[in-house]
Amino acid sequence: MTKRNRETYLTTGAALRAGLGGVLKWILLIYFAMYTLFPLIWLFISSFKTNTELFADPFSLPAVWQIGNYINALKVSGLIKMMGNSILIGGLSTVLNVLCASMLAYCLSRFRFKGRETIFTFFAAGILVPLNALMVPYFVIISKIGLYDTHAGLILLYSAIGIPMSTFIIRGLMDSLSREIEEAADIDGCGFFGRYFRIILPLSRNGLVTAATFQFLTCWNEFVFANLLTSSQNVRTIQLGIRYFTNQFSTDFVSMYAAIVISIVPSIVGYMIFQKQIVSGLTSGAVKG
Amino acid sequence: MKPTKKDRLGMALFMTPALVLFVLFFLIPVGYVLVVSLFQWNGMSAATFVGVKNYFTIWKDPVFRRSVINNIIWALVAACVQVPLSVLMALILNRKPRGWKFFRTVYFFPQVISGIALAMLWSAMYNSEYGLINGFLHLIGKGELAINWLGTLNTALPALLIYWVFYIGYYMVIVMSDLSGVDRDFYEAAEIDGASRIQQAWFISLPMIKSSVLTCMTLAAVMGLRQFEQVYLLTNGGPANRTSTMVLYLYKQIQNTRYGPANAASVMLICVGVVVILGIRALFEIERKRRK
Repeated sequence: MTKRNRETYLTTGAALRAGLGGVLKWILLIYFAMYTLFPLIWLFISSFKTNTELFADPFSLPAVWQIGNYINALKVSGLIKMMGNSILIGGLSTVLNVLCASMLAYCLSRFRFKGRETIFTFFAAGILVPLNALMVPYFVIISKIGLYDTHAGLILLYSAIGIPMSTFIIRGLMDSLSREIEEAADIDGCGFFGRYFRIILPLSRNGLVTAATFQFLTCWNEFVFANLLTSSQNVRTIQLGIRYFTNQFSTDFVSMYAAIVISIVPSIVGYMIFQKQIVSGLTSGAVKG
Repeated sequence: MKPTKKDRLGMALFMTPALVLFVLFFLIPVGYVLVVSLFQWNGMSAATFVGVKNYFTIWKDPVFRRSVINNIIWALVAACVQVPLSVLMALILNRKPRGWKFFRTVYFFPQVISGIALAMLWSAMYNSEYGLINGFLHLIGKGELAINWLGTLNTALPALLIYWVFYIGYYMVIVMSDLSGVDRDFYEAAEIDGASRIQQAWFISLPMIKSSVLTCMTLAAVMGLRQFEQVYLLTNGGPANRTSTMVLYLYKQIQNTRYGPANAASVMLICVGVVVILGIRALFEIERKRRK
C-alpha cells in the first residue's frame, strides 16, 4: 500500500466511523424522546375518543373530539376538590418546610459549633432511608397526635420528611454568600435575627425557591402516605383521586384517561416554568447525599 | 464564625423546629420499627415480646423471599442498566447536538409526573384488549404475540421493569451537571493527539465523572428498593405474588394488622438498603485501589 493510498483509506475509515456514530447517536436521541413522548401523546389523544373508538383501534384519531370526557372526569370524581386539597397541603407544607429548613441552614452555614457535623451525617442518612419502611410508625405517630385523616397530618408529615433535602439545598446556597456583608452588618448593630431576615434570607432567594419548588412537587406527587393517613373524601389528594378512578370508571376508560391528563398537566406546566429550580433541586440534593 | 452568647440563644430557637421534626419523623420511627419488630402486636391488644420470631416468620414466608429477590433485581437493573444508559445519553448530550435542550427537557418529564399517573398510563399501554402494545403487534401482523403482559407469570416482572428502566432523565441530568465541569482543554488536547470522540468519552469524561456515577448508582439502587406505587397499581404483586416487593409486602402486612412482621420487614428493608449502598461504595473503592 502506498503512503497516499493508506492516508485516504484511514480518512475514509474515520469518516465512515464518525458517520455511523452520528447515525447511532441520533437513533438513540430520538428513541428516548419518543419513548417518553409517545405514550403521553397517545393518552392525550385517547382521552378525546369514545370508548367504542378506543376499543376498535387504539391508533385512530377521534372522529369528534369528545370534550365531554373531561366534564365527566371532573364531575364524577370530585377532582376539583382534590386538586384544592393538594394545593392546600402542598402549599402549607412547603411554607413550613422551607421556613424550618432555612432557619437551620442559616445556623449550619454561618456558625461553627459542636454537633454540626453530626447533624450533617444524620441528614445525609435521612435522605437515603427508604421512608416507605416507616409506614407503621408514621401511622402510629399521626394517629396518636390526633391528626389521622386531617389536612394537618399530611402537612406535618410532608414538611418533616422534606427537611433534610431542603436543608442541604438552602445551606448549599448560603455557603456561597460572602462573610463580609454579614460582618459589616454585625458591626452596624444587626443582631442574630436581623442578619437572618434582612441579609441572609433575601440573598439566598434562589436556594429558597429551588427548595420550595422541589418540596411542592414532591407533595403534589406523593401517594403512599396520603393513602395511608387519610380515609375521607374531604382530605384526599389528587394522586389518591386518580388511583380511585380505577374503581369509579371501571368501564369508562376514556374519562379515566381525561382524569389522568388533568393530573399530569399541572406537573408539566409547573416543570416548564420552574425547570431550572426543579433540575437543580434534584441534582444538588443528590450530590450532597 | 464563632457564635456569641446572644447568637447561641437565637441558634437554639432557630434549630429547634427542624431538629424536632427530624427526631420525630426520622430517628424515633427508625427506633420504633427496630423495637416493635421484636413484639407480637395487632394494634389493639397488649404487645408481647417474642424476640426475633417475627423475622423467622417473614423469612419462612415464600412471598417475602420472593419480594426480597425482586427488590434486589430492581436495584441491580437500576444500577447496572438504567444508570449506564443515563451516562451514555449524558455523554451524547454533553456534546450539545442540535436540539439538546429539547431532548434534556423531554427526558426529564417522567421525573415530574407522579408515579401513580405513570403507572396508570402504562397499565393502559399494557392492557390486553385495547392497549397500545398489543395494538402495535396487531398492526405489524404479529397479533398472535399479543398477551396479557401483566397477568402472565413470565412477563409480569420484566414488563414492570422495562417500562421504567428507559426513564433516564434524572440520572442523566446529575451526570451532565458533573460533565459540564470538565475542562474543555482536555478534549482539545486529545483532539490534537487524534483521539476519536468515543476514545475521548472513555478516557477523559468517564474517569472525571466517577463520583457522580457512584451517586447515581446509589440513588438508583435505593429507588429500586423503594418500589411500591407501580407494583401496587399495575399488578398488586400478582400473578401468584410473582411481582411482589418488600414495600408491598409490608403494606399488606399492615392491612392485616400484623404489625410485628410488618416492622420486621421494615427493618429488613433498611438493612438491605444499607448493604446495597455499602456494596456499591466498596466496588468503587476496590476499583480505585486497583488503579493506584
